[in-house]
Amino acid sequence: MSFYFAIVGTKDNPIYEAEFGTSKQGGDGVARFREEQRSMNQFIVHSSLDIVEEVQWATPTMLYMKCVDKFNNLQVSCFLTAGNIKFLLLHDQKADDAIRQFFTDVYDLYTKTLMNPFYEVDMRITSGVFDGKVKQAAKKYL
Amino acid sequence: MSSAFPSLRTRPTLPAGGVSRATSVYLRSSSNAPVHSSVTSLNSLFNQANLNSPRPPEDEDCKGLVCRSFVPCIAVHVADDTNELAREKGFADFKGMLRPYGESIQGRITIRDSQGISTTHDDYGVRFVSLADVADSGEKWESGTSRAINGSSEKAASDGSGVFQGGSVEEVEKLVNLHMERAEELNETSLPSDGDTPASNQSFYMLYLRRILSALPLSPHETFSHPVACVIAISSRNANPIDSLRNLYNSGNHLPLPDYLSTDYLRYYVLVHDEDRDDIKKSVGRFHFQSGGYIVEMKLMKSTQLFDQMKKHFGLHCHLLRLRSGGASVISDDDAVVVPKTQWISAAEELHEIRSRDYDDEQPAACLPDSDAAGIQTMVREMTQVSVIPFMERCIATWNDQVASRRRGISGRFISMSKRYFSTSSSRNSTSSSSNYDALHQSYPPSSPEAQMRKLADYAFMVRDWRLAHSVYELLRTDFNNDKAWKYHAGAQEMAAISLILTGTGLTSKVRADTIAPMLDLSCYSYLSRCSATYHALRCLLVAVELLRIRGGGAADEAATWAIRARDMNAQGTIGHALITERVGACYTIREGIGSGAWGARKRKAAMWKMLAAGEWLEVSKLAQSRRCLDAALPVYEGSRFMHVHGFMQHLKQQAGYTPLLADLQDGRRRRGGEDSDEEGVEIQSETLHAGLKRKSLIVGREVEREVENEAESGLDRFVDS
Repeated sequence: MSFYFAIVGTKDNPIYEAEFGTSKQGGDGVARFREEQRSMNQFIVHSSLDIVEEVQWATPTMLYMKCVDKFNNLQVSCFLTAGNIKFLLLHDQKADDAIRQFFTDVYDLYTKTLMNPFYEVDMRITSGVFDGKVKQAAKKYL
Repeated sequence: MSSAFPSLRTRPTLPAGGVSRATSVYLRSSSNAPVHSSVTSLNSLFNQANLNSPRPPEDEDCKGLVCRSFVPCIAVHVADDTNELAREKGFADFKGMLRPYGESIQGRITIRDSQGISTTHDDYGVRFVSLADVADSGEKWESGTSRAINGSSEKAASDGSGVFQGGSVEEVEKLVNLHMERAEELNETSLPSDGDTPASNQSFYMLYLRRILSALPLSPHETFSHPVACVIAISSRNANPIDSLRNLYNSGNHLPLPDYLSTDYLRYYVLVHDEDRDDIKKSVGRFHFQSGGYIVEMKLMKSTQLFDQMKKHFGLHCHLLRLRSGGASVISDDDAVVVPKTQWISAAEELHEIRSRDYDDEQPAACLPDSDAAGIQTMVREMTQVSVIPFMERCIATWNDQVASRRRGISGRFISMSKRYFSTSSSRNSTSSSSNYDALHQSYPPSSPEAQMRKLADYAFMVRDWRLAHSVYELLRTDFNNDKAWKYHAGAQEMAAISLILTGTGLTSKVRADTIAPMLDLSCYSYLSRCSATYHALRCLLVAVELLRIRGGGAADEAATWAIRARDMNAQGTIGHALITERVGACYTIREGIGSGAWGARKRKAAMWKMLAAGEWLEVSKLAQSRRCLDAALPVYEGSRFMHVHGFMQHLKQQAGYTPLLADLQDGRRRRGGEDSDEEGVEIQSETLHAGLKRKSLIVGREVEREVENEAESGLDRFVDS
């Protein structure tokens, strides 16, 4: 079970990306993607932005959008923040609740990042602390 | 009828560069206009859309293509002297002379459907096949089913029997490959012209689709290629006409046609009268000329008498075709017209034609004198409008009353229920006897109600009465399921789904999910796993994709899903695979969003699929196609900061030798890619991006990707460290 997580800003730019594997059931937390799969991940996530936008504007807004798109056997789940920042998670099995909790945790972390006066919206997140905390949340929930 | 289907208002979207290129052309041309040039240029931009004819151009008209591929098939069975006449004119045989004129009938055809409402169509056509070919191809089907359907019709061609059958995906692939290579050669030698890309955008895919739908193979489970009528022709040279007509009739009946073909088709008798015989002595002199004229008149009178006799015997279904005898006309003759090219020939035949044309180049285009061409066109038109269509309408009405309504009513339901009930509770033997299905030959005898209903549904489809066709296909589905006639079952499902989409009823997502999707799914499953008929499965999916794509909205998304499914089927070779991948992108492009932000558009998805297609084209080294896909995909990924995305696009661009449109906007013309212009192009685009990264990417080839990959990895590490 491998995951690819990306935070995408308002201009389709990636703010943060991470890969992890599952820590449950004896997984070691390391993502296992094949090489060509890695570049495809970014394409898949980028293309699912289309559907996210459609859902976002066509239906009453909700934060957690569950699975918005499928590609082969991979699914993309999305969480939309109040500032139109999208958290996208590429995964291959359904795990709605766990993913929702993970997203909520990351949302917390993101809001704290926003409160940093030196951080502007759409900037890349380069803080190691943020990275560490995200990986922790992943270990906890996914 | 056409209002249910919004025709494509615009061509498949060009990237932004392309559009601005168009405006720059218009601005230039209207600069001579009076002072308010901005207004006039805007007007000319808007007017351009109206200049397009209401009917979308040939290449883009997918629905028309589908409708025109399922048309009545008319067999041709003629006496030898008629073939002789045709050979003198430069055709292989009489059928070869008729065929090009049958494909698009001049003028409008009026059809009355089962409710009595008449509709006119101006794009109707029929297919002419020779009756002997029908017999031959039927045999081939019975002897080697999977062979004939899935592959080697090369065997047929090499036999020299001259029977070219459609239904082979490999042949189509070879043909499209050949065309692409030729086109690429042409492009290399000639200068690229401005604005030619939109037209050729999808033309290879259209060719692929058209060849898949041409020359539908003869099979028991669908009757599109079973003859609806038969043209029996003799010429006025014939010594004993009535006898030969009778002989032709009998021989036509006694040809070894396959069992499942019903022989009660319409017979249409044609008397070919040749105006002036060559053996009239070429002498100048009024007397001879007069007497020559007298002889001709005598001949015509004789023919007319004969024709009257025929009419008395055979009723309305006769025609007198007057042709000029004499050798083949050349294009330089006064009134010669070029015979139109046959569009709907099978891939095998076209390959054969191209190869033979390669061997002897000085084969001129076939021509006919003007009067002959007009005569043939009139004959085909009359035959269709006056004989064939009414015959089909009568058959539909008869079968509808006798067979189908019996099944539809309450008693019909009881009959089918009792069959099902008894067959489950009784032993195996009685099951097989209660159904009409002949499991050994995998066909129904043509007189059984199921076969007749399938014929009824197919006739309704061919006269474009979609509702009736759909209702009959629905009835047939359950029947075939109970009889475990899998190929028939798959065929009925496929046609039921297609006719439902064609009726033009609203396709809400519920309708699509509940009816169309399961039908298509089941049909594919049946074709693939139970019958191993990959050609039919591919055809089913591609037609569904086209029809759903035109509907737009959510249907376009579904079209993309089915196209992805067709792609995964692996029924086709690499070229077909790449074409279908590109088509997925085209399905998504159709979907333009609403509002200023184009919400609901599928630009990114379209770009991703086009990019995948570009990769596939590179693998089969078709660089021109790859460049075209990159044209469409690049603008979306222009400023993308996703590292891998960026690296991948760079890699593709280098592989394809791509020069971006943007850089040449000032020149107004595409430059062919050289290494320096490539770099220049890269420079222009990438100035705004990672400056540090780009310096390295000017180095050629593999290193680019490795560098980018390294940067990406170290980039991620940087997150952790800092």
